[in-house]
Order: sequence, then structure tokens, then C-alpha cells
Amino acid sequence: MTITEKIMARSSGRNKVMPGELVWTDIHTVMTMDYLGKTCFDKFRSLGKTEVFDKDRVICVSDHLVPPPNQKFANMLNEWREVVKQHDITNFYDLGRQGIAHQIMVEQGHVLPGTISIGTDSHANTYGAVGAMGNAIGVTDAAVAMATGKAWFRIPKSVKFNITGKWQPWVMAKDLSLHIMGMMHWNGHLLYKALEFTGPAIESLSMAGRMTLCNMTVDLGAKNGIVAPDKVTERYLRNRTNDTWDFLTSDDDAEYDMVYDIDISDLAPTLAMPGKLDDTVTVDKLLGKKFNKAFVGTCTNGRLEDIATMAEIMKDKQVHRDVNMILVPASQTVYLEALQAGHLETLIKAGVAIDTPSCAACAGIHTGVAGDGDIVLSAGNRNMTGRMGSKKAEIYLTSPSVVAASAIRGEITDPRTFDV
Amino acid sequence: MIKGTCWVADDYVMAYDIIIQEYWTSAIDSTENSKWVMAGVKEEFNKENAFKDRGYTFIVANHNFAGGGKSIEHVIAGLMGAGTQAVFATSFARLQFRNAINYGLPFVTSDDEMHLGCETGDELEYDADKGIIKNITKGTQFTSVPAAPFVGEVREAGGLMNYVRDKIAKGEPIE
Repeated sequence: MTITEKIMARSSGRNKVMPGELVWTDIHTVMTMDYLGKTCFDKFRSLGKTEVFDKDRVICVSDHLVPPPNQKFANMLNEWREVVKQHDITNFYDLGRQGIAHQIMVEQGHVLPGTISIGTDSHANTYGAVGAMGNAIGVTDAAVAMATGKAWFRIPKSVKFNITGKWQPWVMAKDLSLHIMGMMHWNGHLLYKALEFTGPAIESLSMAGRMTLCNMTVDLGAKNGIVAPDKVTERYLRNRTNDTWDFLTSDDDAEYDMVYDIDISDLAPTLAMPGKLDDTVTVDKLLGKKFNKAFVGTCTNGRLEDIATMAEIMKDKQVHRDVNMILVPASQTVYLEALQAGHLETLIKAGVAIDTPSCAACAGIHTGVAGDGDIVLSAGNRNMTGRMGSKKAEIYLTSPSVVAASAIRGEITDPRTFDV
Repeated sequence: MIKGTCWVADDYVMAYDIIIQEYWTSAIDSTENSKWVMAGVKEEFNKENAFKDRGYTFIVANHNFAGGGKSIEHVIAGLMGAGTQAVFATSFARLQFRNAINYGLPFVTSDDEMHLGCETGDELEYDADKGIIKNITKGTQFTSVPAAPFVGEVREAGGLMNYVRDKIAKGEPIE
């Protein structure tokens, strides 16, 4: 069996599962957040229950609406806080302790290798970075899981991406994500599939990089993305959880629907063109393209490593006068670590505006939304028309290193040739 | 047996166009969500009740219907409120495929590429038991990929909420 099949077999109390089978599985944790959470709890109570299956394992996060930019959101947040309090939820990451839900789930140890965690936001696939099955679901599934600790799943076929070669300086996991996006397209090859990332270039990848890679598997149409737990995972989880877990891996004779080999030795910084995620190009095709807004943050690229990369590139330099640049760290923990490491001072001196952790402009609702005619260079995850605000804005997606180097020059720049 | 007219969608109809951004934070309510359903898909549907008023019973689509990675259930509630009784496509995005199962709305896959021979306004007939979709206007017929029995059980219960509520009330295990 593959690692995903093993997790699903274990979670459904079976010795073996086959792709296509439908099973009910145990859920390790269920996450919901500010703008959908109240509906989850309302639906949960309508099932005839008053207490959640385990108040330590329902994780509540304020991320989309905080800090409230208007009265509507302020009122929604008040209702949300009331309902979380009413159900005596142990782990509530509200404004002040907040972060983007997927970052919180992993960094606070709420996701465990070999188990299944679900969340009411599409990028819950991020949890695969620690060898868990992370799955996005709707409020109905969340309500059922809150009541029963269970969710139904069809066992997906697995697809293996064997990644070899050495990472070049300034080339990031995001470039690999976008490269795969361009290679596989949205046309259905990876719909419902479990994507397993393996090989030497994955073993050498940091947890931040693994999170980026798994995060964007939802945008490939996949059910989940996963990296088998190893020493990197062990180091990462050591001080984050007291729960026990094991090094579950795929069997040598595991069956895959497809296997792809990718050598990243000559992988170039990659961008997605405005409108469609799978319309990707390498940076050389866009060199010199002017833009006026730069954004780094989100559950895809708002982590310490991303901020450190930016700081290294932007140290003692200035953001171009025609560019407004915003950084939104993915959580309060990341924010503090970046502050203590001196990265935020470097970035503020370079002319980067820094905002409190939230989904920010990625959800198009606050903190640096795009206006008519804006050309945005973003390290986020989605570039569809209107995603960050105006339908008359264009969003180019790329890695934090491309955003940082380009923001200095005021035009799209290859960080590999940028003088650091 | 369900009978009615169909709307043939273009390729890649995205969930965030079926329910546009300004309604993502609104309540999940089939009547409310149906007023602006499909508003981002075509300019002609970007008016209150524009899609709903056409009275289509079916949607026929190609690949990755309701894709683009939005998990919001407003999409399914909106389609149901607009009178959609089944969607036929070559493939569906998994988040909304799952939501449709949970709401008991048939999202039916067919390998027959029926979108190629269908035109908006054609009259279709869907026999869920046999998995047969007939295009009465064109005189053609398509076969659906069978769904797991669980999907039918959830539909018969009127959705996953009813299915689970009933099990909880009876003290039956969920497995």
C-alpha cells in the first residue's frame, strides 16, 4: 500500500484498503475558522449533539476576517467567538494568538504523521507536509466530524512524484509547485488523486518547503499531497507535540496510477500568468515586466524561511519607488521569530509594509486588496480574475525570492542573477 | 426519472464563478445563494435570479466542473435553489463533488463526452436507477459512471446531515 492508503486503512480499522473503496475514517483533528465556523457549530448542534467529540481536537482559528476591516466582519467575529466559547473549545487561536489556520495546525502540533486531519478551507492539503493526510472539506463534513470524530472518504489512487537533483540558490519549493502545475494542468489528470512527493530533493527540503508543495496540491485538483515523515519531520515535531507517531512509508510494491520523475537541478524560477494557475512560464520570459504591487504571505509562502529569503535579498536595498510591498507573516509565531531574527527590521528599512498575520489580500477582502489596473506580483496561491480585489487587476504568482528581487528593481527579475 | 431542459457549460466552470467572491461570506441558504448563482460564469447571468429564471433542470459540462479549489457549500446550495436537479460532466472538482454528494445533488460523471452533442435548451431525461441520460431533442443517449451505494443512501436520506442525524438518533454506529 501507499502511505495514503496505509493512513486510511489504519484510520478506518482495516488491514488493507483499495483505491475506489468508500470508508468512514477516524479524524485526528478538525479545523474550522472565522467565516465558516459558526455555521459548522450550528450544523453540528442540529445533529442532536451538544458536546463535540473531543474539545481538544476541534481547532478553531480566526484568519480570514481578522483584524476586522468593517462592522460586518466585526459582528461575524463576535458571533464566532461566542459560539467557540459556548462549546468550551480548548484550542482557539483568536486575534492576538492568530495565524492562518493551516500554518497554526502544523506549527502548533495539531497534525500528526499517520493520521487524518480535515479543515473547512481548501488548503488543508498543507498537512501532508508532516506525513499526515490533510483534506479540505465543507461545513457539513466538519459538523459531522465534530459530532462523531469521523468522515467518509473514497480511497484515492496515488501518483508519485520522484524529485531528484540539487536545489539551486533562490529556487524554492514554490517554483516546483508551479512547474508541476504547468506540467499537469487543470484538465483532470490529478483530480481525486493522492500525490506523494519523494526522492532526494524532497528529503533535503525544509518543512516550510514541504508545506508549500503540499499546500498547492489542492490547486492541482488532488485529494491530498504527502511527504513521508523522516528526520526533518522528527526535528520539526519534537517540541510541538507529545503525541506518539511512527515513520509510516509506502511499501516498495505499492501501486501508483502514474509515476513522474522530475530533476530540479535546472529548475528555473517560475511564475503563473494572470488568470490561470496552470499557465506558467519561467522567469526569463517575463524579465523587465513592470508591476506596482508586491505581496508575500498566505498559507503558501508566509513562513519564516520565506521571510528570511526575502530579508537576505533585500538587505540594505530599497523597494522601488513605483512598487508598494506588503508582507503578512503566516502566524504570530512566525511574526515573532522573524522579528527576533532581525528580518523584519531589514525589511522595514527596505520599505516593506508589514501587517498582522491573516489571510490578508489573498482572500481579496482586506489588507492590501488590488485596485483597477494594479499589476500584482504575489507569493500567494491563486491568481484568478478578481481574487485579490478588482477584476481589473492582474496577479502574477511566484516565489518569495522572485517577489523580493523584483520589488527592488520594480520589474520582474531573476533572483539568481540579482546582486545580493 | 427526471425530465427537463439543460444548460451546456463551457469547459472549466469554476466554483468561484458559480458563487462570486462578494457572497462567500454570506449564509449558506439555497434561496439566497440561488439569486446570484453563475453570476461570474457569464455576463448574462450577472443579474439577480438570471440563471434561476431560465428554469434549467440540468447542467452539462466538460472537465473539472466547479473547480478552482473553493470548498464553500454555497455553490451546491445555490444550484439546488436554482432548480438544478443533476449535473453531468466528464469530471468534477473534488471539493464540490464531495459537497454535492453531501447535499444529495447528483453530480454524474459520464465518459461519453455528452457536452459535445448537447445544446443549451435541449430536453433531457435522466434515469438515475439505470444510469441513462437521454437527449430527447437530439435523439441520443449516454451512460453514466455508477456511483457507490453510499451516494444513493445519502441522497435518499436527503443529504449527509439527515443521514448522520438519523444514525445518531437511533444510536447506530457510523461505519
